[in-house]
Amino acid sequence: MMGAETVKKKMNFNLLAGAVLTGGMLLWIAVGFFYLPYDPEAMSLELKFAGMSLSHPFGCDNYGRDIFTRVMVGARTTLAVALGTVGIGAGIGTLVGAVTGYFGGWLDEVLMRVIDALFAFPSILLALVVISLLGSGKYHVIWALGIAFIPSFARVVRSQYLLLREMDYVKNARILGCGHFRIMFVHILPNTLGVLVPTLMIGFNNAVLAEAGMSYLGIGVQPPDASLGRMLSEAQTYLFTQPIYAIFPGLAIVVLVLGLSLLADGLEAAR
Amino acid sequence: MKYIGKKILTMLLTLLLVSFLVFLCFTVIPGDPAVAKLGTDATPEGIEMLREEMGLNRPFFVRYADWLFSMLRGDLGRSYSYEKTVGELLADKIPITAAMSLMSMVWIVLTSIPLGLYAARHEGGAIDRAIYALDQVLMAVPAFFAGILITLVFGIAFRLFVPGGYVSYNKDLGGFLYYMIFPSLSIALPKAAMTVKLLRSALIGEKKQDYARTAYSRGNSTKGVLYRHLLKNAMLPLITFLGMSFTDIMAGSIVVEQVFGIPGIGRILLTSISQRDYPVVMGVIVGLASVVILVNGLVDILYQLLDPRIRIGGK
Repeated sequence: MMGAETVKKKMNFNLLAGAVLTGGMLLWIAVGFFYLPYDPEAMSLELKFAGMSLSHPFGCDNYGRDIFTRVMVGARTTLAVALGTVGIGAGIGTLVGAVTGYFGGWLDEVLMRVIDALFAFPSILLALVVISLLGSGKYHVIWALGIAFIPSFARVVRSQYLLLREMDYVKNARILGCGHFRIMFVHILPNTLGVLVPTLMIGFNNAVLAEAGMSYLGIGVQPPDASLGRMLSEAQTYLFTQPIYAIFPGLAIVVLVLGLSLLADGLEAAR
Repeated sequence: MKYIGKKILTMLLTLLLVSFLVFLCFTVIPGDPAVAKLGTDATPEGIEMLREEMGLNRPFFVRYADWLFSMLRGDLGRSYSYEKTVGELLADKIPITAAMSLMSMVWIVLTSIPLGLYAARHEGGAIDRAIYALDQVLMAVPAFFAGILITLVFGIAFRLFVPGGYVSYNKDLGGFLYYMIFPSLSIALPKAAMTVKLLRSALIGEKKQDYARTAYSRGNSTKGVLYRHLLKNAMLPLITFLGMSFTDIMAGSIVVEQVFGIPGIGRILLTSISQRDYPVVMGVIVGLASVVILVNGLVDILYQLLDPRIRIGGK
């Protein structure tokens, strides 16, 4: 049997490793706003498929662009799309979940049937539907994925509101004369955070993976914007000549997702 | 039985709603298909004639009912860009994607159950911790990046297969199945990691239950309790998870098909989206969503049948 202390130590390791990876990645992306080693669009014939070196740590791509710089910029795009996606998905999802869970009744029945129907689609498929209607592009991807993420948030938040609306503090607030709106968002919402925050973190990771997948398919972020998924699809063409081109954008995705999932695991264990 | 009947009814209702939402999206938002077919320099009379011919002048609900019933008869309409019906277009692609998804499922089950059992039995040991670390990393690898890495390692370095050298199943079934090993493995890797983690924590959770302690105190071996008692109970969340994973596997196959150059459902969906060939897009979307709804419904029913606590207690 494993002692309680060892468990705690391991989980703290998760928290630490997650914080280091996520923090490092965010710092690296933040630095990109003030300083980039090269122009991410600058092409150069001599540097075509240049290998790893001190001046170009990740090598150069088929146009002789510096991969290190492009991963920095690409990670920024991926992060921005993921944040937008989670913002839309969690914002609308929380609203729908709060209203349906709090009020119940026919509104709940109708909205939840629609949410269930949307839930039947894998999120990338739902995003593909939206993209095929709106066309591709950075902002369309955010909307497409954001809409695709609504059902999961709505379901989680609704189940919390179903539980919490029966609590005594909600009844007391009613007696004190608080309006429904105030009870829903001032009284109940803070109490759902324990469940909402892990859901947000998982949602963020899924958004990073989904954005990378969509851009890889060529229907997400369009050139000249660099995105990690986009870079991977370009890199795949040159897998024979420049294998490291594919490795670094992929690793950036892995580190971003790994960091946050370790952080989520660690936080859950620490509670 | 009452539960199963209710479940089937909900499934049908969801299917109906999905078909309605898809029809609504693809008929209201994209604009006039007659204009799309004829181009911008068409005469108003020409457009009007084609609208009449395509039945676009009828009321919305009549068109929806018409589309729904012809779909139920197996008629998905005609593709705009190919001179084929949607059914013909998809018929030879379905086996490819189905084979790939099923093969991934087999990989997941084959790898995750032994690893999950081993990790739970040796909880806290060195190998358990190694499995945990590997799980965490693999869960963060998107399936298409796993595909690129597998191409690099097995295709380019070890030359076990030719990257992009897809073999059609009508020509060489053995070669087809062999080529499918690599894409299905890429889809399975992250999912298998999640499954191991889930099974391990489910087993460890069961280990702390009273019935497990009773079984130990009656003199059963660790192994015996694990296989005869704990696994049975841990299978329930596992089945639910695998059912849900099926959705992700199918979605993953759309992307992974592109990595390995496989002309399956994903390829046709993407080309149809870029060509705005809406009948094909609608057919694929409704088809995939139906499979997802059916699989999830079946998992729910299976769960009922397997778990006597729900079978007897829950009404």
